[in-house]
Amino acid sequence: MISRRHFLSATAGAAALATNLPAARAEGGQIVVGTWGGDYGQLLSDIIDKPILIPKGYEIVQDIANNDPRKTKLLAERQSRRGSMDVALLSDSDMYIVAQSGTFDPIDAKQVTRLDKVFPELRSDIAIPHIYSAQVILYNTNQVKTPPQSFADLWDPKWRGRVGLADILYPNNTLAAALAGGGGPSNLDPAEKKLLEWRSLDVKIYPSNEALAAALKSEEVWLTTMWLARGFMWKKAGIPLGHVVPKEGAPAIVFQGSVPKNAKNKQGAFAYLDAMLDAKAQVGFADKMGYVPTVTDAVLPEDLAVQVSLSEAERARLLKPDYAYAAARTQRTQDFWNKEFKG
Amino acid sequence: MALLVVPACLLVLALLVGPMILMFRISLNQFHPTQMMVQALSPENYIKAATDPYYQQIIVATLGIALLCTLLTLVLAFPAAYWLGRMESRWKSLAVIATLFPLLVGNVVRSAGWMALFARGGLVNLVLLKLGITSEPLEIMYTPKAVVIGIIAVVLPYMILTLAAVIESIPRDLEDAAANLGASGFRIFWRVILPLSVPGVAAGSILVFVLCMNTYATAVLLGGPRFKMMAPAVYDQFVRGNNWPMGATLAFMLLAVTMVFTVFGSVAFARRYKTA
Repeated sequence: MISRRHFLSATAGAAALATNLPAARAEGGQIVVGTWGGDYGQLLSDIIDKPILIPKGYEIVQDIANNDPRKTKLLAERQSRRGSMDVALLSDSDMYIVAQSGTFDPIDAKQVTRLDKVFPELRSDIAIPHIYSAQVILYNTNQVKTPPQSFADLWDPKWRGRVGLADILYPNNTLAAALAGGGGPSNLDPAEKKLLEWRSLDVKIYPSNEALAAALKSEEVWLTTMWLARGFMWKKAGIPLGHVVPKEGAPAIVFQGSVPKNAKNKQGAFAYLDAMLDAKAQVGFADKMGYVPTVTDAVLPEDLAVQVSLSEAERARLLKPDYAYAAARTQRTQDFWNKEFKG
Repeated sequence: MALLVVPACLLVLALLVGPMILMFRISLNQFHPTQMMVQALSPENYIKAATDPYYQQIIVATLGIALLCTLLTLVLAFPAAYWLGRMESRWKSLAVIATLFPLLVGNVVRSAGWMALFARGGLVNLVLLKLGITSEPLEIMYTPKAVVIGIIAVVLPYMILTLAAVIESIPRDLEDAAANLGASGFRIFWRVILPLSVPGVAAGSILVFVLCMNTYATAVLLGGPRFKMMAPAVYDQFVRGNNWPMGATLAFMLLAVTMVFTVFGSVAFARRYKTA
C-alpha cells in the first residue's frame, strides 16, 4: 500500500526529474559530427571533444568520410525529418552548394557566443569558419633551385613531367589553370586551354593528396599546387618542400562547420561550433596541421606564424572564391577535367 | 517444395529489385547542381550516355579489360584446375583452402599490396634495377597492365574452383582410353578434356566476366585517375558530381551491357557444345 508520505516523496522525485530533464537536454547528449578522418578527426577529438565538450556532458560521435560522400549524404537526407549528422564540416565551396538547397540552419549568434571573434571577412550566415589556408605552389627544394613565381610558370617546358596534381582537387587545379591563363575565380574559361597545354607537358595526376605527397617525396614530381597548410604538414613529415605565393594570387579555402536543419541535437551542435572557435583549439590546429585561425584572439607563436601565415603583402593577394559561379559551373568543370584533360 | 525458394526470392525482391526500380526512376530525373536532382521523366541521360564519346570509350575499355582478363584467367586457371580436379592426395583439402586463401583478403588490402610492389620505388622496380635488367624504373602503377594483373589475382580462384569441380567429374577412364588409342597429351586435352569441361568453362567465364565488368577498387587503386572503367565512373557521378540521375543511368548501362554479353556468351556456348 502506498502511504501519503511515499506518494509525496515519489511525486516530488518525479517533479524534480521532470524539471531536470529539460536541463539535461539543454546541455549534453550525443553530437554526431560529419568530418574527415585522419589527423583532422583526431585533432577534433584531442583539442575540442575531450577538453571542452566531454566535460560538459556531451558524447561525441564522428561520422568519418571525405567531403564528397558527406555532401551527397546531406543532400540525400535533406528531406528527412531526422538527419544522421548534428554538425557537418565541409569546405566552403561545398558548403555553399549544399546550403543552396536549404539544408542548414542559420548560425545562431546567441548559441555560438564566439561568433563576434571571427574575422569579418570569413563570416557567413549558414556556417562558422573553422580554419583556413591558401592555395600556393609547393616545390621540392632539392630539385628546384629557382622556384616558379606564378602559376603560369608551372607551364614552363623545363618542368615537363615534373608537375604533379591531386585528382581530388580538380576544382582547385582548374582555378590555378584559369589564373595562369588570365582568368580568375569568376572566369574559369581560360582554364580549359591551359589544362590541355598542361596535359601536353606531361603533367602527372595522382588519385589522392597522399599519393601526391609520396611522389614529391620520391622526387617523381617536383612541383604542385596545394594548400599552404598541407605543405606545412608534409614538411613536418620530412619532405623537403618550399612554397611560393603565386603572383596571380592565392585562392583561399575555408573549412566550415554548420548545423543541418534536421539535426537531432541542435543545442549540442551549436555548442560544438562554438567550441571549434575556441582560441586555444584554433592555435592547436595551426600547430599540428598548419591551418590559420579564424578568430581574432587566437595568436600564433611567432615561429609558427612565419610558417603557416601569409605576410601582409601576400594576404593582399588572397583570392575569395566566387561560390555561385563555381557551383553553376561544377558539371562543366568536372566534365572537362575527366573527359578532356584526363581522357 | 516450391515454397522453399520463397524466403530467398522475397529477400532478392526487397533488397535488389526494389532499389533497382527506385534507381531506374532516378535515372529519368534531371541533374541540378544545387538541388541535386529535379523530378522529370526524361530519357535525356540515356541519350547522353549512349552518344557521348567519353562514355562510349569507358564502356569499350571496360568490355576490353573484362574480356581480356576472362581469357587470361581461363588460360592460367585451367592447368591449376586440372591438377586440383585430378588430385587424389590427402592434401587435396589443403590445396582447395590454399586456392581460396586470396579471397580471404579484401580487394582494397590486396590492391594496397600490389601498389607497394608496382610503385616506382616498389619491390618489382627495385629488383629489376638491382639486377640491371632496367636502367630506369618501369611505369607499372596507374597503367592498364597493373589493373589486369590486379583483377586476375582477384578472380583466379573463382575460375580454378569452378573448373576443378567439372574436371573432377570427368571419368579418368576417358583419358586412358584416348591414350590407349594413341592420342597425344595435347590431343587428349583438345578432344576429350576441353569439350567435356565446357560447362565449367562457361560457368567460370561468366562468373569472372561479371566480376571483371564490375571491378571498382582494383581499377581505382591500381589504374589511377586516368584509367577508366564503368564502376568508378558510376561512383564518380554519384559521389563526386552528386549527379545521381547520370550515376543511375550509367549503372543501368553497365548492367545492360553485362547482361547482353552474359546471355550472348551462354547461348553461344550452349549452341557450340550442345552435342558435347
